[in-house]
Amino acid sequence: MSCPPFDLRDYYFKDLAENERRLTEVHVKTCAHCREELDRLRGTETALLALPDEEIPQRIGFVSDAVFQPSTFRRGWAALWGSAARLGFVSAAMLSAALVVFSLTRPAPQAAAQVPAVTRVALEAEVSKRVGDAVAKAVAESEARQARRTQELLAASEKRQALETQSMKVRLEEYLEVERKLRTIQFLASNEAGGGNGDAR
Amino acid sequence: MIFRAVEDADLIRKACRGDVEAYNLLISRWERRVYNYLLRIVANREDALDLSQDVFLKAYQNLRKLDDPARFAPWLYRIAHNEAYSLFRKRRPEGESEELQPETLEGAATVGGNAVFPVELTLAVSGALRKLTADQRETVVLKIYQGFKFEEIAEIVAAPVSTVKSRLYTALDLLKAELAPVKAPVKARGML
Repeated sequence: MSCPPFDLRDYYFKDLAENERRLTEVHVKTCAHCREELDRLRGTETALLALPDEEIPQRIGFVSDAVFQPSTFRRGWAALWGSAARLGFVSAAMLSAALVVFSLTRPAPQAAAQVPAVTRVALEAEVSKRVGDAVAKAVAESEARQARRTQELLAASEKRQALETQSMKVRLEEYLEVERKLRTIQFLASNEAGGGNGDAR
Repeated sequence: MIFRAVEDADLIRKACRGDVEAYNLLISRWERRVYNYLLRIVANREDALDLSQDVFLKAYQNLRKLDDPARFAPWLYRIAHNEAYSLFRKRRPEGESEELQPETLEGAATVGGNAVFPVELTLAVSGALRKLTADQRETVVLKIYQGFKFEEIAEIVAAPVSTVKSRLYTALDLLKAELAPVKAPVKARGML
């Protein structure tokens, strides 16, 4: 029907992309056949538009009558289902409310709520006993450590004293030995001196 | 056109809140166009008026389902299309196509007192439109008389754009052939 690669009727009804429209426009300027085709389309449209619009014989209008109005509930219901956003919001609100109600009405954990009084007293006694045992054990260990330390210190002290006594004893024996040797020498010396004086008389 | 669309959207919002007067104002803006669309596809004034009233009533009842007020026109014409084709189906005898026996619309030439176009051309156009199928005629009315885009027409008639184009171009070829003998005198008269 038309020379250009694009439909001339699409061009006439402005249904081509901008670059296609420009190409067709350039083509139409140089193609008599396409210009005639466009003229025919324009002539047909002009002829069709010769048929005028008619006035409506009777105006249409509605009156605000409560009888014909949907109830507030129905309007709200229709508005809810007519809007995805409203429906989503209401669903989220209902879910939140359900979570709140569930959290408020959920039964408390049984272990904490239903421990008998007797068991509690026994538990407290057991705990008290264990604490007492632990304290006594710790005190005993501490005392044992202290006694051990004291024993060690006493032993060290006695050992040191024994060493010192031994040392003094050795020094005393050495001193006595020296003294004895000195007396022996003095005795011998005096004996030699007395013998010489007797011979001379 | 933008201001008009904004105001229509405002009226739609008010009508959704139950403002009947706002809806009446909206009707006053669209009733003539919808009536003429229906008149050209059902070719009967009484039917066109009844259908127009039904269209605006249904539109009011379903206005809250309209997500985007800017799409009001295609949405309203979709309702009108459904109403017209529902009438076609009701009146169609078994085994016949969706065509009505139209009343004679010769009066159209004088309604509105439009003296610019000669009577013979108006009659020829009415006759040529009647020779089209209902689908072709509706596509011509929506494109040529109502000025919708191809995408909007596709939405109204629930058909692909390619089908809409095919119907329109076939119809225009037929109309061109039908109206060719009439257009020549008009051109000649216009040149004088």
